[in-house]
Amino acid sequence: MNKKLVIIGSGPSGLVCAMTAVKNGISASNILVLEREGELGGTLNQCIHNGFLKNLTGTELASNLIKAVKKLGVECRTESCVLSLSADRVLTVISPSQGYQKIKADAVIIATGCREQSRGVLSIGGTRPAGVLSAGAAQRYINIEGYMPGKKTVVIGSTDIAFIVSRRLAIEGAKVITVVEPKSAPLSDKKNIKDCLRPFNIPFQLNHNVTKIYGKERIEAVDICQLDKKGKPIKKTKQKIECDSLVYSCGYTPDVDIAIEAGMRIKRDTKGPFTKRNYETTIPGVFVTGNAHYIHKNIDKILKESVVTAESVAKFLQKANQPKKEKKNEDNAHIDRKNQE
Amino acid sequence: MAIKSYDVVIIGAGITGTMTAFQIAKYNLKVAVLEAGIDVASGSTRANSAIVHAGYDAKEGTLKALLNVKGCEMMEGITSQLGVHYKKCGSLVIGFNARDLEELKKLKARGEINGVKGLRILSRSELLKMEPNVSRDAKHALYAPSAGIVCPYDLAYAVAENSATNGTDYYFEFKVDKIDYDGKAYTIYAGEEKVKAKYVVNAAGCYADEIAKMIDDDLPFEIIPRRGEYMLLDKSEGKVAKHTIFVTPNEKGKGILVSPTVDGNIIVGPNANIVDSKADTSVTEDGLDEIAKGARIIMPGINLNAVITTFAGVRPTPTSGDFYIRESEKCKNFIHAAGIESPGLASAPAVSEYIVDILKNCGLSMRKRKNYIETRTINGNCKLFYEMTERERKEAIKNDPKYAKMICRCEMVTEGDIINAINRPIKAKTIDMVKRRTRAGMGRCQGAHCRTKVAEIIARELGIDISEVKKFSSNSNLLLGKTK
Ligand SMILES: Cc1cc2nc3c(=O)[nH]c(=O)nc-3n(C[C@H](O)[C@H](O)[C@H](O)COP(=O)(O)OP(=O)(O)OC[C@H]3O[C@@H](n4cnc5c(N)ncnc54)[C@H](O)[C@@H]3O)c2cc1C
Ligand SMILES: Cc1cc2nc3c(=O)[nH]c(=O)nc-3n(C[C@H](O)[C@H](O)[C@H](O)COP(=O)(O)OP(=O)(O)OC[C@H]3O[C@@H](n4cnc5c(N)ncnc54)[C@H](O)[C@@H]3O)c2cc1C
Repeated sequence: MNKKLVIIGSGPSGLVCAMTAVKNGISASNILVLEREGELGGTLNQCIHNGFLKNLTGTELASNLIKAVKKLGVECRTESCVLSLSADRVLTVISPSQGYQKIKADAVIIATGCREQSRGVLSIGGTRPAGVLSAGAAQRYINIEGYMPGKKTVVIGSTDIAFIVSRRLAIEGAKVITVVEPKSAPLSDKKNIKDCLRPFNIPFQLNHNVTKIYGKERIEAVDICQLDKKGKPIKKTKQKIECDSLVYSCGYTPDVDIAIEAGMRIKRDTKGPFTKRNYETTIPGVFVTGNAHYIHKNIDKILKESVVTAESVAKFLQKANQPKKEKKNEDNAHIDRKNQE
Repeated sequence: MAIKSYDVVIIGAGITGTMTAFQIAKYNLKVAVLEAGIDVASGSTRANSAIVHAGYDAKEGTLKALLNVKGCEMMEGITSQLGVHYKKCGSLVIGFNARDLEELKKLKARGEINGVKGLRILSRSELLKMEPNVSRDAKHALYAPSAGIVCPYDLAYAVAENSATNGTDYYFEFKVDKIDYDGKAYTIYAGEEKVKAKYVVNAAGCYADEIAKMIDDDLPFEIIPRRGEYMLLDKSEGKVAKHTIFVTPNEKGKGILVSPTVDGNIIVGPNANIVDSKADTSVTEDGLDEIAKGARIIMPGINLNAVITTFAGVRPTPTSGDFYIRESEKCKNFIHAAGIESPGLASAPAVSEYIVDILKNCGLSMRKRKNYIETRTINGNCKLFYEMTERERKEAIKNDPKYAKMICRCEMVTEGDIINAINRPIKAKTIDMVKRRTRAGMGRCQGAHCRTKVAEIIARELGIDISEVKKFSSNSNLLLGKTK
C-alpha cells in the first residue's frame, strides 16, 4: 500500500498533525493514522482531570480531536503497531484486522509520545514485592480499569503526574502517607502542590527518598530518609513507614525505539531524534513531533509544535511533487532553539 | 483417592531437578517433580550470572571439574534441540599485574588438566582489540573460547516443558515437609498432600540438607546461603561487552563480572555475602555500591545509569567445596544432588546424566520411551514473536490474529505469545510467570505499560477476576479491590 503521509501515534500531536495536514492541502484520503492501542487519543485517555487547553479534561480534549479528524475523513487505524521503519519510508505494520502489512509513505510523522522511566527506583534496596508501580500504571488502573493499586500509599517524585495521581488516590479513599522528592525543588509547578496535595493534607517532603522496600509478597513498608547535600541518605533520619503500595514517577523519555532502529541520530540530552528546523529527522521525509521529539512542559506547547510540524510536512510533500527540484536540505547543524527548552 | 505412585520423584524444579527430569523422560518411566514454589526455577536457578563456565575454575580431580567441562560441551546440543537462547561468546579473565598473570597461568594449567580446550593467554593489545571498553590498566587476559551464556530460567522451562510433554507430572506449591520409607517405597508429604516413589532425587538446592534430614540422613557438610546481587543494564548498553569478563579470582571467589546476556542486555554482578536466610533475595544499597565499584574496575566507563532492574540470588555453598551427588548412606534408592553451587548451571546437563547413571546402578531399569517427543511441546519449540523471521511472523498472524496485537512494546511481545505461555505444558498463571516466559515487562519500562494488559489476559484465559491475578504467589495480588 502507498500513502502520502503516515502518522504514527494518535495522541494529541498525531491528531493535530492529521488535521493540519488536511488544512494545508494534503487530501484526507492520502493520510493514514496508525495507533497501537485499541482507542485513539493516546495518554489523554487516562487523564480525567481538568487543565487541558482552556479547561477541558484530557478525555474531553481527546474526543474533540478525534471527532474533528474523523469528520475530515482521515483513516485512523487502531490496534495497528508499527514494528519498523526503513530508510526509504517503508513501514512494517501488524494489526489483528489487517494482518502483516508493508506501507510505503512519501512522508512519515513520528508522534509516538513518551514512556515512563523506572530508573530512579531501581537503586532502592530491599525486596521486589507486588505493589510497587509507576504513576502512569497507577493512573491507568484507577481511571481505566477501575481498580485500586493500593490503599496506603507512599509516592516518590514531584512530576505533574505524581501529584495528580496522589490526588486521585486520595479522592478514591486511599491514604497517601507522603510524597517524597529526592531533589531540593519540585519538578512540577508549585501550583500543583497547592491544588493536589494541600486539600487532602498530603505531606510533601523535598530532599527525601525511599531507601528500602520491605515485604515478601505484597509490599509492607518502606524506609524514608532525608538526604544530605550530595544526595546521600542521612542514616539517623531513617523512618520505617507501613504501606501497601509505592508509586513512583521518575520522569519520561521519548518513545522512539522505531527511530533508533531505523538508524536515526538521537540527541543525547533529550533522548529524542535529532531534527532540522522543519522538524525533519536525519532520515529524509521522516518527521517527529510532540513528546516523541522531546518531553514538553505542557499540552499547549505540544499542539503548537504539531501544527508547525504538519505545515512543514506539507511543504516537503509539495516540493517532492515538483519534479527535478529535489528537496534541498536545510542546514543540518542548525538546531531549532525551541527544541531544547 | 488413591495416592499417585511414581518410579522416580524429583524434589526441586531448579535446573538440577528439571534437567534430571528431561534426561529421565527419554525412558519409559513414571516421573514426578515436586516444587515448593509456584513455578519452575524458583530458587538459585532464577537469579544467577547465567554463565556457561568453561571449566578452568574448579580444582582438578573434583566432581565439579569433571561435570563442568562435560556440561559445557553438552550445552550447545540441548539448547539447539529445545530452542533456548545460548551463545558461545567466550570468557576473559583479566589481570592487572604480575601476580595476576601468575594466577592466570595457574588457571590455564588447571583448565587444561580439566580438559578445557582452546585456552589462551592474551596480551594487552589482543585484549583491547576484543574488548575496547575494558580498563586500560588491564595487562593480560585468559581467554576461554568455549565459555558461553544462556538464559537460566528459559533453559529450566525448556527442559521442564519437554519432560512434561513426555509425561512427567509437575506439582507446584508442593513444599515437601515429611518423607516416610517402608523399606520398599517412599511416601513424600507436603502437608495433607502426598505421593509415593520407588526412587527419589533430592535436588532442593539450598534446602537439600533439610530434605536429607527428613530421612534421618546428615549431609557431611553444611550449606551456607551466600547471596549475590546484580544490576541489569538497558539494551542500549548491550554492546559494551562482547565476552563475559571476570577479574582474576581471589579467595572470595570469581568476583564481579560484566557480561552480555542472551537477550542483548548487560549483566553486572555478583557480590558474595553470607545471609541469615536462604530465602533472602533482597538487594541492598551497600551491595549495589559494591558491584558498581567492581564493574568499574573492569570497565571504568560503564554507564550504570542505564540500570533497568536489580535482583539477587542465593548460592547453596557447601562447606566441603564440591558437588555431592550420590545415593544416601542411610536409605536405598534416595539420591542426593546437593551443594550444587556455581557452576551448577553450566554443569546441569552432565549432573543430570550422572544422576541417571546412579539410578541405573541402584537397579532402576530404563527402557527407551517409544513416541519420545524431542521438542518443548507437541507443537515444537514455540518461538516467540520477537524471535521469528518475517515469514514466520506472517504465518503466525495468518493462523492467529492475536499475534498481531502488541502488548509489551519494549520487548515486542504479542497477545499470541502470552496466551501461548499461559497454555503451555507448564501453565503460566501469574504476571511473573508470563514475564519470564515471554519477556513481557522485562524491557526498559519494566511493565509500567503492559502489566495491566497482561493481567487482563491472564484473568480472561484463567476465567478469574482481574483483582485475583497475582504477581508471583498466593498473597501478591496486583490490585486491592475496586475504586469507589
Ligand atoms: C549469585 C549466583 C551466581 C551464579 N552464577 C552461576 C553461573 O554463572 N554459572 C553457573 O553455572 N552457575 C551459577 N550459579 C549456580 C547455579 O545458579 C546453581 O548451581 C543452580 O541454579 C542450582 O540449581 P538447583 O536446581 O540445584 O537449585 P535451585 O535452583 O535452588 O532449585 C532448588 C529447588 O528446590 C525447591 N525446593 C526447596 N525445598 C523444597 C521442598 N521442601 N519441597 C519442594 N521443593 C523444594 C526450591 O524451591 C527450588 O526451586 C550461580 C548461583 C548464584 C546464586
Ligand atoms: C541472565 C538473566 C537475564 C535477565 N534479564 C532480564 C531482563 O532483560 N529484564 C528484566 O527485567 N529482568 C531480567 N532478569 C531478572 C529477572 O527478571 C528477575 O528479576 C530475576 O530472575 C529475579 O526474579 P524476581 O526479582 O522477579 O523474583 P524474585 O526476587 O525471586 O522474587 C520476587 C519476590 O518474591 C519473593 N518470592 C519469590 N518466590 C516466592 C514464593 N514462592 N513465596 C513467597 N515469596 C516469594 C522473593 O523473596 C522476592 O521478594 C534477568 C535475570 C537473569 C538471571
